[in-house]
Amino acid sequence: MNSSWNYIIRRILYLIPVLLGVCFLIFILFNVVAGDPVYLLLGKHASVEQAAELREQLGLNKPLFMQYLDVVKSAFTFDFGRSWSTKQEISSMMIQGAIPSLTLTIPAFVISTILSVLFAILVAFYRGKGIDLFIRVTCICMMSISVLVYILVFQNYLAYEFGLFEISGYEYGFPDFVPYVILPIIIWVVLTLGPDIRFYRTMILDEIYQDYVRTARAKGLNEKKVMLKHVLRNAMIPIVTYTVVQLPFLLLGSLLLESFFSIPGLGGMTITALNSSDFPVLKAMTILSAIGIAVFTLIQDILYTVVDPRVKLQ
Amino acid sequence: MRYLLLAMVLGLGFSCTKKRDFSQKTLQLSVAAKVKGFDPVNAGDSYSSNNINRVYEGLLEYHYLKRPYELQPNLAESMPTVSDDGLTYTFKIKKGVMFHDDKCFPNGKGRELVAADFVYSIKRMADLKNNSTGWWLLDGRIKGLNEWRDQYKGKDANYADKVEGLQALDKYTLQFKLTSPYPQFLYSLAMVYTFAVPREAVDMYKEEFLNHPVGTGPFITGTFTQSNKIVYEKNPNYRDVYYPSEGAEGDKEKGLLKDAGKKLPLVDRIEVMIQPESQPRWLNFNSGKLDLMEVPKDNFDQVVTPDKKITDTYAKKDIALNIIPDMDVTYIAFNHDDPLFNKNKKLRQAMSLAYNSEEANKLFYYGKGIIAQSIVPPGIAGFDPNYKNPYKQFNIEKAKKLLAEAGYPEGKGLPVIKYDTTATTVARQMGEFLKAAMDQIGIKIEVVTNTWPQLTQKVKKRQTQIYGMAWIGDYPDAENFLQLLYGPNAAPGPNGSNYNNPVFNQKFEVAKNMQQSPERKKLYEELTQMIAEEVPLIFGVHRTIFVAKHGWLQNYKYSTFANGANAKFYNLDMKKKEETIKSGKLR
Repeated sequence: MNSSWNYIIRRILYLIPVLLGVCFLIFILFNVVAGDPVYLLLGKHASVEQAAELREQLGLNKPLFMQYLDVVKSAFTFDFGRSWSTKQEISSMMIQGAIPSLTLTIPAFVISTILSVLFAILVAFYRGKGIDLFIRVTCICMMSISVLVYILVFQNYLAYEFGLFEISGYEYGFPDFVPYVILPIIIWVVLTLGPDIRFYRTMILDEIYQDYVRTARAKGLNEKKVMLKHVLRNAMIPIVTYTVVQLPFLLLGSLLLESFFSIPGLGGMTITALNSSDFPVLKAMTILSAIGIAVFTLIQDILYTVVDPRVKLQ
Repeated sequence: MRYLLLAMVLGLGFSCTKKRDFSQKTLQLSVAAKVKGFDPVNAGDSYSSNNINRVYEGLLEYHYLKRPYELQPNLAESMPTVSDDGLTYTFKIKKGVMFHDDKCFPNGKGRELVAADFVYSIKRMADLKNNSTGWWLLDGRIKGLNEWRDQYKGKDANYADKVEGLQALDKYTLQFKLTSPYPQFLYSLAMVYTFAVPREAVDMYKEEFLNHPVGTGPFITGTFTQSNKIVYEKNPNYRDVYYPSEGAEGDKEKGLLKDAGKKLPLVDRIEVMIQPESQPRWLNFNSGKLDLMEVPKDNFDQVVTPDKKITDTYAKKDIALNIIPDMDVTYIAFNHDDPLFNKNKKLRQAMSLAYNSEEANKLFYYGKGIIAQSIVPPGIAGFDPNYKNPYKQFNIEKAKKLLAEAGYPEGKGLPVIKYDTTATTVARQMGEFLKAAMDQIGIKIEVVTNTWPQLTQKVKKRQTQIYGMAWIGDYPDAENFLQLLYGPNAAPGPNGSNYNNPVFNQKFEVAKNMQQSPERKKLYEELTQMIAEEVPLIFGVHRTIFVAKHGWLQNYKYSTFANGANAKFYNLDMKKKEETIKSGKLR
């Protein structure tokens, strides 16, 4: 137990160099690639005097090292200040954006993961048979179609022509948001089913041909028991890895779906910030993503010990 | 299939669509980008200023129906008295105008607007700390205002300090003293930047003021959040303002005077949906969830016939088309800091002649634009509809000849010219079009794509050779367009081409200070033609807006300026809306 806690604390401490590195990278990218944002922020009539004043206000006149320290400070204090472009407080923008993003991504992710695993077990069980071939071909077809096609076709036919769903929009609070997220959730599920089923099928098949499975069969266990009790348990390790790693991205939302369905989430907020050189927002999103990925990777490691007793945290 | 899907959905027990409510007159509009907030001094983009316009008001406004655009009093009792030297403007403001109820006022009840509110609001615009995107309007114009601004550089401004040229003479009298005659000054008083804000709200909400709109306008909205929808309710305490009883020629026939004399606003509520993508916006319009919308490029042929009429399919849905020339100009600018262009007018003229604007109009604007002969768009004094720019008539032979006279026969000796543009698909295509056009006369172009911030930065820092841009008018005066070529306005000012012609500069200075008159019109036309032939820019088009609107929306007339405020004039026939939508006619 002690060694497990040591491991967890060590991993949390690793966050410090990770954050410093992330801060350095975004700082360099913003200062070298993006350049001076003041004229964009001040509009078409900006004067030199105004540009100088704004640079002063934004701290862009400080020595680069001091500016980098400001970035580091905000990463460790979570005080990201205000957006340069909208002048809104970033923390409230993020809270405001996280809710719509999560109401879309969490149900979509849960549904698509459950369906993918179920279909993967099914095709692995019937491997080499007609149903396996049919589902695999369907998966490839689904993967071959661009996300934009799904969005445009589903919006046009299911929402507009048939009037089954809302075309776009969003309302805060349960159950008001429900009618607005159903169609994007369906599209998300359709988009992810193809690659996920194929991935999980491969994971399950890898296990099916292991020695212990042959032993189980030799002992006379029926195929259903072999699949559910032995194969699935062992195939869970890569499945858990794949699933947990995706979790921090749920918070970031889905750029295209949010944009086309007018869902005021974090994906759209990030792109707006990118287009308007809104460094504080980009900084906040990047730092939170880095922390999210680091934390969920740690959770993933801990979960390994749950699904596979052979794995120890050291 | 439809019923199968329906059954599936019902089977899942979901409520997939919201029930429509037709009981209130709710105007449903949309914008393509996020509104940045409700602080008038920072209404730099049209999305924000159109929304601010619904809540806040200024001394003047544009007449809703009359064209050419005409200023009229809004919060001012009447048009100002102007001193003989054209330097002093005195306004009487309306009595009994109340700010919206808000907790920033004692007992939450809005107080009466007074002249001092304008003094405060305009000082806010000048306050360097607020870095107003509208400061250029008043920069150097009002006596003592620049000094007041500079005095508080890096400090908290003292708003109690008097400014000679900006004073409230009594509760309802406001006086401006200008540094020099500037007739365009009045336009700035119809622009959002100078609208009245109550000091109590700024003091209470501080940095959050932009999220707490407290104006005197016809509509009220609650705390603003960066969401996907802005909802406005009719201001119950709005003063008596009535629908105009006269308009432009033809307005009566179009039914635009049917509500003449009725108290405004005519709708109860406005919902503005923020929808970045045009496809869902268009589908929402088609299903009656938006009352009007600009026709997207991708759907243009479905809606508009080649002779610019509404197609039968849409006419049957009782959808009408409004075609409005916008007050703008697109252009390719030569950076005159580069000696290649500065010293070689014939090179510029040759490039202009080789650029086929008709073809570009068809390709990029679906033939909707009006070919720009010079910089001033139609609808304002200085635009001469009969003028044909000799260097805008596509002519490859003449272009080749001029290129040879410029010292570069068949382009020999010319370096590759860099054309900076944005990275959007259309901008890249425009770059390729220019490249192919110049290739015909032997000029090699390299298309350089940038993000929008990068492009603006390059232009402001004079780092381009040639670049693509557009200018949308701030007010209906040729001065606003001609100043783009005024030498002292060179980058980082609005003159990104850094063109500096002493003759042009001198004549422009005279024209901009003249009162509206036939003489000024003539001088504007002369300047317009001078720069047309000097070719500091390759002129593109004046864009045209095609707006589709449902039959139930009444009194709609597009305005380039203060379009958001016009919602108070719109009316809705809700019975017709309900019947049309329920009949399924729209699908």
